Amino acid sequence: MDSDAIVVIVVATALAFDFTNGFHDTANVVATSISTRAMNPRLAVIYAAILNFVGAFLSLAVAATIASGIVEADLITPQIVFGGLVGAIAWNLITWYFGLPSSSSHALIGGVVGAALVAEGTDAVISDGLIGKVAVPALVAPILAFVVGGLAILIAYRLVGRLRPGPVTRGFRIGQVLSGGMLALAHGTNDAQKTMGVITLALIANGNLDSGATTPDWVIVSAASAIALGTYFGGWRIIRTMGSRIIKMDAAQGFAAQGAGAAVILASTHVGFPLSTTHTISGAVMGAGAAKRFSAVRWGVAGNIVVAWVLTLPAAAGIGAVTYGITRVFGTGAVGPAVVSVLILIAVGAAFARRLQQGSPITAAES
Amino acid sequence: MRLGTVVEWGDLLQVVWSSLVAGLGVTFAFSLTLLGATRAVDLRRDGHAGAASVFAVVMVVGLIATAAAIVFGIVVMTSKN
Repeated sequence: MDSDAIVVIVVATALAFDFTNGFHDTANVVATSISTRAMNPRLAVIYAAILNFVGAFLSLAVAATIASGIVEADLITPQIVFGGLVGAIAWNLITWYFGLPSSSSHALIGGVVGAALVAEGTDAVISDGLIGKVAVPALVAPILAFVVGGLAILIAYRLVGRLRPGPVTRGFRIGQVLSGGMLALAHGTNDAQKTMGVITLALIANGNLDSGATTPDWVIVSAASAIALGTYFGGWRIIRTMGSRIIKMDAAQGFAAQGAGAAVILASTHVGFPLSTTHTISGAVMGAGAAKRFSAVRWGVAGNIVVAWVLTLPAAAGIGAVTYGITRVFGTGAVGPAVVSVLILIAVGAAFARRLQQGSPITAAES
Repeated sequence: MRLGTVVEWGDLLQVVWSSLVAGLGVTFAFSLTLLGATRAVDLRRDGHAGAASVFAVVMVVGLIATAAAIVFGIVVMTSKN
């Protein structure tokens, strides 16, 4: 009974993380389509939410990496998974509060690794997997997206640069419906699978699944639904604040950036690399911007992304470790996670209330 | 532990080349579509029906290549690695 309760808490926390992931990342997926007026904000958000949901069903390679390639599933307990999830959610909320462009994926992996290290020592962490499947791809993907985005826009300008701008712009706006859709699909498949992997890990840890088992269908459907709902609801806030955040780009750049981001994320998902979709899309946007005019890119934002990248893994690991320690004060049952969950809900409610009191957001009509 | 042995170079190279081919290929094909469509309209309007037909073919080829690349990408994604 107690073990069932803790799994319910862990699954609910994982789905809450998935929801915040969609909520947090809506801007990355739809901003380019909206800024070039390829799609109106309302339609772009609904479209992205639907394709996030569909994308979650495309592959399970990333879920398998999270469930068995980063930590030793046999040494993991549901409390460790819970600690990791809290580390990720807390870091996401902290970075959201201060406006730092952090990665939900790195926060999740950092949180689980931190809790596992404190609970079981270095034996619980598969360091080869952590470096080979997470750290190195995390470095390569944004750079690759930058290069592909930059080269793609040079190809596009070479072919259509001397044509009448009106039809070309309209054409690329139509193309952005396709490329934006692929990006939403890519985001859904890579990010939703991280939650699927974590839930699968918790089910293995609790004995509900055998080690090495595949992700159950109900986990796939619930993770897909959570990220799609998060994208939909996150979209409304993004629409209201987007006026001050979006980099100015033309439709061809938007098409090139979205295509490059989608290509890198989908290719990485296929081989099971759980990358940061935030960093990859940012890299593609910067590449498409820099190829046209180097100074058009806000390099300060790029610097912030690097700083957040360096901080995210250790910070989420630290919070995950502390959370695990707190839950163990209450024993090995469900009481610790239940107490921490209540404390988180109070903290999140307070943070939201405080954030919403600060400044009035820009409306879609004004953006 | 050496970085050279823990990094999955085969998978990483696959990501690099497939991202380059897909990202650049789709942009090339779609740009070709726009080039064909715009030039076909302009040439037809100026009375060059033959040249306009050639660019119309370019447009169709570009469109088919774009659609094929997207469908191929989704098929590859849904197939097991």
